[in-house]
Amino acid sequence: MNVMQQIVDGVSVSSSLLLVALGLAITFGIMKIINLAHGELIMVGAYTTYAVNTVAKLPFFVAVIAAFVVTAIVGALMERFVLRSLYGRPMETLLATFGISIMLQQIVRILFGATNKAVISPISGTLTLGNIVIPYLRLFIIVFSILMLLLTAYILFRTKFGMLVRTVSQNRSMSDCLGINTSRIDLLTFSFGAGITGVAGAIVATLRNVSPTMGIEYMIDSFLAVVLGGVGSLVGTAIGSVIIGEASQLLTFVGGEIGARIIIFVLVIIVIRFRPEGIIKLESR
Amino acid sequence: MKQLWKNHTVSLLLLLYLALTPMFSNAFGVELTGKFIVLMIFAIALDLVWGYAGLLSLGHAVFFGLGGYMLALSYSLQKGVPSFMARFQITEIPLFMKPLTSIPMAFVLGLVLPSVIAFVIGYFIFKSKVSGVYFSLITLALAKLFEMIAINNQAYTGGFNGLMGLPRFPIGGKPMELDSYYYLVLAIAVVVYLFAHWLMNSRFGKIVKSIRENEPRIAFLGYNVAHYKIFVFVISGFISGLAGMLYVPMNGFFSPNEIGLALSTMIVVYVAIGGRGTIIGPAIGAFLINLLQNELSEQYPAFWQLLLGLIIVLVVLFFPKGIYGTLQEKLGAWLAQFRLRREGK
Repeated sequence: MNVMQQIVDGVSVSSSLLLVALGLAITFGIMKIINLAHGELIMVGAYTTYAVNTVAKLPFFVAVIAAFVVTAIVGALMERFVLRSLYGRPMETLLATFGISIMLQQIVRILFGATNKAVISPISGTLTLGNIVIPYLRLFIIVFSILMLLLTAYILFRTKFGMLVRTVSQNRSMSDCLGINTSRIDLLTFSFGAGITGVAGAIVATLRNVSPTMGIEYMIDSFLAVVLGGVGSLVGTAIGSVIIGEASQLLTFVGGEIGARIIIFVLVIIVIRFRPEGIIKLESR
Repeated sequence: MKQLWKNHTVSLLLLLYLALTPMFSNAFGVELTGKFIVLMIFAIALDLVWGYAGLLSLGHAVFFGLGGYMLALSYSLQKGVPSFMARFQITEIPLFMKPLTSIPMAFVLGLVLPSVIAFVIGYFIFKSKVSGVYFSLITLALAKLFEMIAINNQAYTGGFNGLMGLPRFPIGGKPMELDSYYYLVLAIAVVVYLFAHWLMNSRFGKIVKSIRENEPRIAFLGYNVAHYKIFVFVISGFISGLAGMLYVPMNGFFSPNEIGLALSTMIVVYVAIGGRGTIIGPAIGAFLINLLQNELSEQYPAFWQLLLGLIIVLVVLFFPKGIYGTLQEKLGAWLAQFRLRREGK
């Protein structure tokens, strides 16, 4: 094993982490909702992909779109029936989404059974550069995650919808006064964040087995990435994902999987202790 | 006496029920109720942190599990190298596990180690200016981490299956009868209850409660908020470790489920449903949910989890104070009205 190969693998791990954390950067970073069902949204996206791509034999890109739609609907239902009445109460939100995550896991278990499912990867073959080997699938995920990052940034900073999202998150009562339908914006923003998370689920489904409890690890990692990078900043989320992705890949090479997890955990705690706002600090007004 | 009855009616009724259980129940029932009592102790421990200091720990099973694993490992090491180690060609007890060969030493470690971990985590998080939400996320990650450590180090922890075939009730070398062990656990539960009650009604407890209500104001009054939070967290870790050790002989085996997310989830549910911020509420929550789980999870395993999730959501939305808290409020209001009416006559 050479180090270059590890670094390249790390980029690939980082890119899937970035995909998973993007939705969280919207729901947690911008809306400040602690969504403990984030991992389960990934899981729902992955199972949708399994149902559409593997069971119904439709093309992969259809599955990705279906994953977006299904998780966006799940997100809309969550926002409409539970989260809406809990804004500004982070502890209650945390507990309620925790309950939702248990329910979603069980619903999927009832629908699909408890056994692991596999989604056949849509792209096969590998690219060999000297002694570095990159599967085309991983290359696709790297490109795809960067495109998703740019798309999300475009929607947030260059469209009217994105402007409304940021307006509401900065000053809710003022937005109300200006005639913005804030509850509609909340609903749309959360569904959008959930939908992106579903797309991430569709992509990671090609990398690993799909199971009802697959979400928890992704959720913890993406929260760590968002917290490390700086809450509320897309660039911060990207940096956080790259640091955690590269660190877990390189440290696994050195100290095994558990050793890598422990070091990353300690690293994040130390960052929180001495720089609670994360690596990228947002200007607050 | 009258005062005691008035303030602790529910607790005393519950105690009476638990004390009489061995007389009316078979061995299986006693064992089951004994497990419930241990979980009640654990729920009280989480309540100190969450209900009183307002810090939701989503990984509290780490402390319970650390205590439990210390004692369970110690029991496993009593007859030389246990079989799960022998499978990995380990012929001698490794040096770092030597202290565990002595049961009293393991007992001390099972109390000290959770407290130390609680102190370190508390020191780093509470000294920082981050909000309580980060604390929840960090403890969640901690639970996942410990679960992974327990599962992956199969040679030292028995891995996914955990430690099996542990002796049932060997206190001080001599095996104990199920009933006597049951009463021992019950007595410890009463002590923990009284201690928690005393602590939270003391000056210290009042400051902790006011931190929950208005942290900046308490800080402005000159109290070092971080120190109070760390202290409560360490006490809670200590009691959780104790509960973990009491659980080992009652259960007969100890697995990664008891150190990771599964138990952490359940204990949060107990406290939320029973009513956080009251000492007896979480104990009642632990008791009722376990009774319900015992009835339902065997007949309808698929729907039990679904129901559990739904209960959490409904409690958050409609009964934020939990069963006991809501009952206390409604009953209190009713009693006050009754008294007013009587005095009015």
